[in-house]
Amino acid sequence: MDVTLGLLDQLPSSDGGGGVPSGGSTTMRSILTGSKSKEDNNKNTMVVSTEVTSSYPAVVDDESLDGLELGLGLSIGGGGLKSKTAVTGGWSQYARILTAKDFPTTLVSEPNNSCSSSSSVNIPNSSASGTKRTATDSVSPPNGTSVVGWPPVSKAHRMPNLANQMKSPTENFISKSEQNKSKNRTVGIKDYSDERNGTANKKYRSVKVNMDGTLIGRKVDLNAHTSYEMLAQTLHEMFFSKWPSKEAVKPSRLLDGTSEFVLTYEDKDGDWMLVGDVPWEMFISSVKRLRIMKNSESNELASRCEENSERYRD
Amino acid sequence: MGYSFPEEVLEHVFSFISLHTDRNAVSLVCKSWYEIERWCRRRIFIGNCYAVSPGIVIRRFPEVRSVELKGKPHFADFNLVPDGWGGYFYPWICEMARAYPWLEEIRLKRMVITDESLELISKSFKNFKVLVLSSCEGFSIDGLAAIAANCRNLRELDLRESEVEDLSGHWLSHFPDSCTSLQSLNMSCLLSEVSFSALVRLIARSPNLKTLRLNRAVPLEKLSTLLHRAPQLVELGTGAYSAEIRQDLLSNLTEAFAKCKELEGLSGFWDVVPFYLPAFYSVCSRLTSLNLSYATIQSPDVTKIITQCPNLQRLSVLDYIEDTGLDALSLSCKELRELRVFPSDPFVADANVALTEQGLVSVSEGCSKLQSVLYFCRQMSNSALTTIAKNRPNLTCFRLCILEPRAPDYQTLEPLDHGFGAIVDHCKQLQRLSLSGLLTDRVFEYIGNRAKKLEMLSIAFAGDSDLGLHFVLSGCESLRKLEIRDCPFGDKALLANVSKLETMRSLWMSSCSVSLGACKWLSQKMPRLNVEVIDEQGDLDSRPDSCHVEKLYVYRTVAGPRLDMPSFVRTMNQNPAYRR
Repeated sequence: MDVTLGLLDQLPSSDGGGGVPSGGSTTMRSILTGSKSKEDNNKNTMVVSTEVTSSYPAVVDDESLDGLELGLGLSIGGGGLKSKTAVTGGWSQYARILTAKDFPTTLVSEPNNSCSSSSSVNIPNSSASGTKRTATDSVSPPNGTSVVGWPPVSKAHRMPNLANQMKSPTENFISKSEQNKSKNRTVGIKDYSDERNGTANKKYRSVKVNMDGTLIGRKVDLNAHTSYEMLAQTLHEMFFSKWPSKEAVKPSRLLDGTSEFVLTYEDKDGDWMLVGDVPWEMFISSVKRLRIMKNSESNELASRCEENSERYRD
Repeated sequence: MGYSFPEEVLEHVFSFISLHTDRNAVSLVCKSWYEIERWCRRRIFIGNCYAVSPGIVIRRFPEVRSVELKGKPHFADFNLVPDGWGGYFYPWICEMARAYPWLEEIRLKRMVITDESLELISKSFKNFKVLVLSSCEGFSIDGLAAIAANCRNLRELDLRESEVEDLSGHWLSHFPDSCTSLQSLNMSCLLSEVSFSALVRLIARSPNLKTLRLNRAVPLEKLSTLLHRAPQLVELGTGAYSAEIRQDLLSNLTEAFAKCKELEGLSGFWDVVPFYLPAFYSVCSRLTSLNLSYATIQSPDVTKIITQCPNLQRLSVLDYIEDTGLDALSLSCKELRELRVFPSDPFVADANVALTEQGLVSVSEGCSKLQSVLYFCRQMSNSALTTIAKNRPNLTCFRLCILEPRAPDYQTLEPLDHGFGAIVDHCKQLQRLSLSGLLTDRVFEYIGNRAKKLEMLSIAFAGDSDLGLHFVLSGCESLRKLEIRDCPFGDKALLANVSKLETMRSLWMSSCSVSLGACKWLSQKMPRLNVEVIDEQGDLDSRPDSCHVEKLYVYRTVAGPRLDMPSFVRTMNQNPAYRR
């Protein structure tokens, strides 16, 4: 049974019409000899008359499995092998026949396709045969850095040189961590995962929130909030929603110091401050993380805040 | 024809069958075997978490004790899969927490797991023993603290190469004093310091600790303290291997290593100061596994080490080892099974080290048990590849990465088709192959014809036309995973081999020439495939069908299209009959 399989411009529209084979057995020949039955300005459309076979019975029957012929006498069977000599010995003549002229140019990737998404490496528009190339013919970036994910080294193995050169006191992992444990940040090897790191700064700003007495901290996206009240509401839902409704933990009371708990934050300088004293924008720009503290401890904090603000007055 | 064979007997017989493939085969024999098998299957391996849903798994296998899941495609390791693509563990843990109260082991690879999920794990399974998170992300130290605090019988905690957000760093102290069951701890991926005193105490009360992989932040000065507490260690990953030059420190370390009579594997070795290398020479004769892939030590130092390791089976090393070091390896390490050589300067075109194809040829000559190769280099030739293939027909994994894309045979300037052809021709048991260099469609013809046991193939910057892809899809009978980037493969080969795709786990194609229309057609034709188009440029709906897709990920599934996709991933039109 011959079925014409129209590709691309005869692709079924969403209502299911078009050239989709209705099932049953189909045989494939001449997979790659295309005949343009439709002149088209758009270079990328192509109609190919083919008959498609599959050696996998899951989808179609395959009685006449004389294999796939490529119109050149070269048989590639689903499981059936020609002898090696026929394949390898005769390759050069087939290679000669398989030139770019036989194929519509669309088969070779065209970087100038306006919606093409090839990587920044220019894929050469070469002939399909195995002709020799000189070293200069292969186009590649001067160094590999402009190609994403190439060479295929996983994060752990990128830039071992650079990572190990960071032994100077100012940049050493170890000395830094010994200096300031609480401010320890990831450095170094992450430089090459731009895609992963990018999200950390761009679209949302999430900070950790820990509550005294709870083991697991949570994260809250500050950019999704516009005021202290909103933030308090969110935190209330996060931490207190399971509690029977207690006066003590109404959202507003997190801010005004009348509840059992107090909301504090660590700012850029590493100091712990009470939330709510500064304008919201200023708060957002300097907060590093949040802590819901039990009220007894917050009294100490308050007195320390007094001292600090006195210091800074000069 | 009925026969009755007591179920208990069958169940007992099945208990000796552990390989997943064998178990699957058993379940296909007949309905009663299917039933018996599903009730007694204890370990599940799911190679693609989206191929099946938690509900389906739990319905079929009610008595599972061990789950292994993989999420993102392999190319995610190289930043080719955008953040937020998927691979979330949460839906799984939600259902497993209810369904498998006796679950003991969870192993995840390339999945996203949150602190909430970790906490859920720690509280849901009374007998939880093993947690392995390989190349995972999405969690922080807090999640680890929950595991430490709540898993009373924890045996293994392995975070290999995961990305852990660790702002506070203190979680080891959450292991209760009563926890003495730890056998394996791998925290090498953690970036910040851990509490050293908590670490020492933990080690001291874990008499069965066999594997300990420290993170870089554990200084060398403290290593001997740890070793004294755990002389029974079989595998050790050091922290940073550097300190000021001090003779007393060297002798302490040497003494500590000498006490470790069971040590067989070493890793770590960041920031190596060669002065301290002799400290572990005493264990070299016993070493079967050595990972120096972070150690920027030069060839003479590397050579000095490996010539003392006659029992070495697995070696990972930087290309600083050079051809001379590999020559020495081939003479000294006759038990070598696996060799991985990583590039010290991967982004520089000119060679900074004297490592060429010759090194690999030497090893292939001298190491008769060599099965698995991962080799980064800057030049290769057909004759070298042919020699390697003839020397080592027992290769099962051959991954070659010539750093320059499309680099030809450096001697003849021809494509490397014949060389790789020789590999697939001689190495009849080859299961995994990664190609590089200048390659035409011819190499794929060789692969399609000869690589009948090949299960995983990685292709980059290769081929001339759809014929190449067609050779592979129609010829490689055992193919399960195919990943392709930057090749001129388009619609034809794909659409001519649609049913092949259902026999495979997955296909990845990025920066190729597959059109959007072809993707739609494929998904309509094959309802049991998820055809995912990843496109970060947005407005996929308004593109013409002729447009090439950025990235295509096709995988078979019985769970239908997934519902957790970000905006830049679309599953093409699906057959509603398969929604579950």
